[in-house]
Amino acid sequence: MIGNVWVALPLACLGCGAFAVYLAARLLPARLEGSRNRWLAACTAMVFGAALATIVPLSAATRAAYHAGRALPTWGRSEAGGAFLQADPGALVIVAAALGLGGLVAIYSGHYISLDRRYETYYPLLLLLVVGLVGMVLAADLFSLYMFCELMSVAAYVLVAFRRRTQTAIEAGFKYLVMGSVGTIILLMGISFVYRERGQIAWQVAGGAAWAEKGPWTRAGLACFLVGLGVKSALVPMHTWLPDAHGRAPSSVSAMLSGVVIQAAFYTLLKAGLGLGWPARDLGTLLVGLSMLNMTLGNGLALVQVYTKRLLAYSSLAQMGYMMFSVGIGLHYGLASSIQAAFFLLVAHAAMKGLAFLCKGVCHFYCDTTTIAQLRGMARRLPLVAVAFVVALGGLAGIPPLAGFAGKWFVLTGALSTPDALAYVGLAVFLINSLLALGYYLPLVVTLFSLPPLARRGVAEGGRLRMSPWMAVPLVILGGLILAIGLYPGPWLDLTADAGSYLLALGGER
Amino acid sequence: MNLEAVWLAIILGAPLVAALVLFLLRGRAARAAGWIAGAAAAFPLVGALALLPALHRGEVPALSLRWIPAAGIRLMLHVDWLTLPFLITEAGVTLLAIVYAWGDHRQDERTPSFYGLLMLFAVGMTGTTLADDMFLFYVFWELMLVASSVLILVWGDGERRGAVALKYFILTHLGSLMVLVGLVVLYDASGTDSFSALRAGVALPPAMATMVAALFLIGFCVKMAVFPLHLWLPDAHTVAPMPVTIMLAAAMLGMGTYGILRFPLGIFARAQMEAFAVPMMVAGVVSEIYGALMALAEKDVKRIIAYSSVSQMGYILFGLGTLTADGIAGATLHVIYHAIVKALLFMGAGLVVRSTGRRLITELGGLGKAMPLAAICTAVGALAITGMPPFCIFDSEWMIFAGGFHTAHIGLSALTLFGSLLTVAYALWFIGRVFFGPRPEGLTVTRPHWAMVAPTVLLAVLALVEGIFPATVFDWVFHELPLILGGRW
Repeated sequence: MIGNVWVALPLACLGCGAFAVYLAARLLPARLEGSRNRWLAACTAMVFGAALATIVPLSAATRAAYHAGRALPTWGRSEAGGAFLQADPGALVIVAAALGLGGLVAIYSGHYISLDRRYETYYPLLLLLVVGLVGMVLAADLFSLYMFCELMSVAAYVLVAFRRRTQTAIEAGFKYLVMGSVGTIILLMGISFVYRERGQIAWQVAGGAAWAEKGPWTRAGLACFLVGLGVKSALVPMHTWLPDAHGRAPSSVSAMLSGVVIQAAFYTLLKAGLGLGWPARDLGTLLVGLSMLNMTLGNGLALVQVYTKRLLAYSSLAQMGYMMFSVGIGLHYGLASSIQAAFFLLVAHAAMKGLAFLCKGVCHFYCDTTTIAQLRGMARRLPLVAVAFVVALGGLAGIPPLAGFAGKWFVLTGALSTPDALAYVGLAVFLINSLLALGYYLPLVVTLFSLPPLARRGVAEGGRLRMSPWMAVPLVILGGLILAIGLYPGPWLDLTADAGSYLLALGGER
Repeated sequence: MNLEAVWLAIILGAPLVAALVLFLLRGRAARAAGWIAGAAAAFPLVGALALLPALHRGEVPALSLRWIPAAGIRLMLHVDWLTLPFLITEAGVTLLAIVYAWGDHRQDERTPSFYGLLMLFAVGMTGTTLADDMFLFYVFWELMLVASSVLILVWGDGERRGAVALKYFILTHLGSLMVLVGLVVLYDASGTDSFSALRAGVALPPAMATMVAALFLIGFCVKMAVFPLHLWLPDAHTVAPMPVTIMLAAAMLGMGTYGILRFPLGIFARAQMEAFAVPMMVAGVVSEIYGALMALAEKDVKRIIAYSSVSQMGYILFGLGTLTADGIAGATLHVIYHAIVKALLFMGAGLVVRSTGRRLITELGGLGKAMPLAAICTAVGALAITGMPPFCIFDSEWMIFAGGFHTAHIGLSALTLFGSLLTVAYALWFIGRVFFGPRPEGLTVTRPHWAMVAPTVLLAVLALVEGIFPATVFDWVFHELPLILGGRW
């Protein structure tokens, strides 16, 4: 018995899809040349859709098993007796978000990438990025975790530098490559430390002894995990690659990187850390501390940005900080609802930041805008994009009734129910930051809706532009989703319901 | 679902549906937009009056739907006696502001969006008063802010509108965040987010209760624009288009008062609020005098009236701070009467600005002969705001002062009373400079649109009638008292 095959299906689906899309890109008949991009985008979106469909029974099974207290669904068998992949409630939330966003990004790319060509590289890489991501969060042992993490990272490096004629893109990709590789090497070192002491790589089985009984190697290994995966999830001060990478990559790629990739790495860090016996309380304290850095630095630097995408990238740092804060509070005080709030925010953030980057991409595609100032008057030229952009930014700023506000409410509820100084200090920083964030989200909104400056009016006011439906549809879907999550958070809260208690249980087992 | 619940849904739903229809129709509805908005704005007013009999029977019309079961949050609306005065004020002001906009707003292809946003702004205020749970309250509270900022941002006057909208949003949002923290603390302490559960009492440690009350007070005072938290107000009121200014000044400022009545005063016991009584009264007096002095110093007609709001909010805060039945009833009455008079003043000023194209009092003068109707109405407004009988504000100020002299702080109360002399100064100065004296060279007057004149006249008449026959409104307002401070007086 090799286990529950549903666990492996999303990976198989995406992996085979990547190969199939590559072949299709190579073999498509010449008469389809004009519509090649759209065909491939549709295929890729279907692969994502199929993978998403396989998640549905899997999450039902996981949920049933989790509530019944049975073992979670696993697949495959490694030498040590542990499984190769394991589905858990938290990972499935991230997988679902990644697949959903991936599908929309694929549809969007159906027009967005049409000037870059090289579809046979782009779409398979996009799929491989998600293969790596899904594998990483589902991995049941440290080796497959490392392998998938590396796969995800390599795909991300190439995608960041996808516009290879642009020097800055190459530079950003290279910086990401160097920092990311150092991160993965440190991660590998950490894995070897853990393996040295325990003689096995299945992290779930590897736990079982209390923190105090652990030897120095496991502790060193965990420190390496923090640094290695911290680079990947852009924890300050290991974030320096992020603004360049997310700011220079094609917008569709930035949407994936900011929306799901860093969060997946963060979840892996949590899972591996707790699974290897890092006491939840200590990890929580550490995360609350680090989250203040992330929030403050992210928001502070976002205030002074000139380029829209760098602004959004810094905002991702801040939003990561909010999630870390909520998780940290949850772990420190043993509050499942706080961790759940972080997952809720994660889903909301994937939609909001994805939408923001996609909107930026449309502006770039049609009007060649890179700086914030160039977005002036965009509401006249691309009204749909302006409205969607406002929904995304308003959501990120936490304005009701959008998704970000529901997230903020749940984060606040968690943090306020805890009666001591750590939570209050964190809370004060959180609130100051959410006010600080208005300082850059709102001017962006104002810029979108103000008239272009007089001197340039002839240039900028080229009248209303027609947007390709391939780009419009994902914008509308994501915008609707942000509104829906904000207005009716119930189902989305249910989606993340088990994630919080799962992580707590993982940390509290010993 | 009984009839009352249907009315509740209509009060909130009609403007919301109108807003959606207007946004969907966009350019195609440019001509009909005003009428659609006007029709939709009539529903809340009719609905509020239709609910009166039920309230008199001692019922609380309510509507409750499932919303976020996982977090114990339901979508709940209700009308109780505390809601009613604010609901009627808000609905009435919205209706008149929209009628005024028929004449004031220049029609173009964005007109439907303008009326749609006005509707959303109104929905925000209606929802704030109707909400029976905290989550919903905050959602509407922010909707009010978002809609009004967008209106200022897109339709405001002058190049600075972007900056002004930003300042308005950020400062007011700062207040909102304080309110949010307070709400979440209450939500955590009581385990549900319904107001009814809160009324039963919240078990909070005393230090925590004091902190929460302070957060609420400061947060709501930002919305009320009490000195020194008023910084957003003069610019926002000056730059906003006139219908928006009317809604901001006459209706939205009242929401801050509603918040104070609903949260700190409605939830905490008298003993817990006593510590805040004197600070509130002092802040009220300072705001009253500061606003009046600034109004004297300003030259722009809209800014003069805007600062007058800061001053009038001072009276309201003073009345609330007395923690007496008279003071609190007076403050609520003042919200209603101030709405009438402030809308009247802005409408009168709007008539002048639109007819002459000038807005600095140094460039105006002698308009009494050219526009007698506007002059009479504005003069009624100016006299009313000084608190002169037989106009309505006299009644509410009487109650506020009565509340003040009921406390041990006679000195403060006397100061408030004499502070109102400054109101007389700026009101008469304003009237004198605009309508009397020599008419400057080149000042031409065009005939204003009937839709701008009609609501102005109506409000002037209302200010007089309410001043003479205030019994009905007094009756509504006094019903709210048992809901506040645990009903102990």
